[in-house]
Amino acid sequence: MSVSTVTKEQFKQFVSALVDSDQSVIGIQAKDDKFAFGELNNADDLRLDYDVSILPPKKYVLPQKETLLSFEVGGDSQTVQNTAPAVLIGVHPYDMIAINQMDELFRQGEYDSHYMNRRNNLTIIACDVVTPSKNVFASSMNTTTAESGFDIMLTDIGDAYVVEAATEKGEALVKQMPGAVEATPDAVSKRNAAREKNETALDQHKLDCKPAFLPKLLEKAYEHPIWEEKARLCYSCGSCNQVCPTCYCFDVQDEVEWDMKSGCRYRAWDGCLLQNFATVAGNHNFRQKRADRFRHRLYRKGKYVPGKIDGEIACVGCGRCITACTSKIANPVEIYNALMTETEIG
Amino acid sequence: MSKPRVAIFDFACCEGCQLQIVNLEEDILNLIELVDVVEWREAMSEQSHEYDIAIIEGSITREEDAKRLEVIRSRAKILIALGACATMGGVNKMKNNFDLNEVRECVYGEDGKMAHLHTEMTQAVDEVVEVDFKIPGCPINPAEFAQIIRSLLLGKTPFVPDYPVCVECKAKENICRYEYNEICLGPVTRAGCDAPCPSAGWRCFGCRGMVENPNVEAAQEVMEKYNLTVDDLKQKLVLFNTK
Repeated sequence: MSVSTVTKEQFKQFVSALVDSDQSVIGIQAKDDKFAFGELNNADDLRLDYDVSILPPKKYVLPQKETLLSFEVGGDSQTVQNTAPAVLIGVHPYDMIAINQMDELFRQGEYDSHYMNRRNNLTIIACDVVTPSKNVFASSMNTTTAESGFDIMLTDIGDAYVVEAATEKGEALVKQMPGAVEATPDAVSKRNAAREKNETALDQHKLDCKPAFLPKLLEKAYEHPIWEEKARLCYSCGSCNQVCPTCYCFDVQDEVEWDMKSGCRYRAWDGCLLQNFATVAGNHNFRQKRADRFRHRLYRKGKYVPGKIDGEIACVGCGRCITACTSKIANPVEIYNALMTETEIG
Repeated sequence: MSKPRVAIFDFACCEGCQLQIVNLEEDILNLIELVDVVEWREAMSEQSHEYDIAIIEGSITREEDAKRLEVIRSRAKILIALGACATMGGVNKMKNNFDLNEVRECVYGEDGKMAHLHTEMTQAVDEVVEVDFKIPGCPINPAEFAQIIRSLLLGKTPFVPDYPVCVECKAKENICRYEYNEICLGPVTRAGCDAPCPSAGWRCFGCRGMVENPNVEAAQEVMEKYNLTVDDLKQKLVLFNTK
């Protein structure tokens, strides 16, 4: 696949043309003094220099709330699928890796057609990080660059972007970029330098071990006092879950219309920190205590989900949970590091 | 099967929650397809002593109101508390923090001594009679009201969240008020409103009451992280969450 360069002005023209086409275009934009992904109406609004989005771009593959099927009470049901194509511009490598993990999770076992249809209809233009966010620790999680999942990867090299096409869809888009030329060795080395810099620059917090060590660490940490200590201040508000690019749990509810016959079944984001996340029929709650729920999230990221995806750690170091937690107890690095110093391994 | 007979009653309140039912507009026609509304002072003239479901708006602040509520309870098979005043006492309960004579004088001046302005400690409906279901909010959300009523008529337990407003606020991608060192009651307040106040740049005022198990012990340490105090927090909490 090709590696090209376009000037920033030319890239803007390309985005303008996309916005003017009948394609749905989603891009990273300013929201007050932060950033959020949203429908792009003007190429000038695209902010590829952003630090981190408030919510991860997972909301375009697993929306906050989505209808799964419509039904008649006591009668038939029809699946509801979203098949509208869209171009998503500005996904950072750590978020790309998170989407790749979810792709695997929603594909394996019971194939989730709702997720997969959205995913397959998405064209992703990713971009390397220009501005580190205040809590990013991607350097510790080996997630500063992404190798797959995107159709195009952009790297800012000053007045131009290096444009790497990774798929046929990506190649077709590069052909639409006015003035795109094959990248010179100089441009490629600038790109490599930018990536090399990010390998150590996205490090507002530093994990004291290799991420691959976390499952082993957690094997010995289940009864550690840190879970109680931290959870003492936990509001069980689920903010850490809501902003996490790898949290994918959802709740399913039914609603009926006024005719009391037709209805719809929807799913909405759920969170394992919430009081009733693990409540089942008969009102039994498997994780009644705050500390149990607090521990569960860290185990999901560091042990349980890795067990489903070839050992890949399900924390990509975006740092959103650290920012979102009102009680300032959610920092995974702080917790894993404390376990490192206080847990006997081996 | 005949339609259930529904009566809507108001006690100490602004009647804004009933107004939210009126605000269903054309959907009221759908509602009366499913139920016979037999008494509803804000919207009709007829009255009845025979009803299956009583919907109660407002808090209880006088002995005669408590007696009237007990009679309603004895006539109704199902009693629903509607809105913040009915479900938890609401804004009216703020007066419980003061001497009631002072309250009367503050509001009515000299007239406060007149017999008909006698007032007692505010009570939520469930502090006086048994309540079968609560619809929170100040005011209630008409769409949520409609969904709850439809679920109840279907014999299905309605879904009312028991998680904090933060869930819905985060889903709307709002910037947390605490990031600006401002108090917000979202972390302890029951969701279901879709976080309209933080979405409009305000804090959560706590009008839906607290979640079942709020972490009140965390408050002091957490407030300190934002250079705030528990007193700052309490000042905001009394508006809707006076015990």
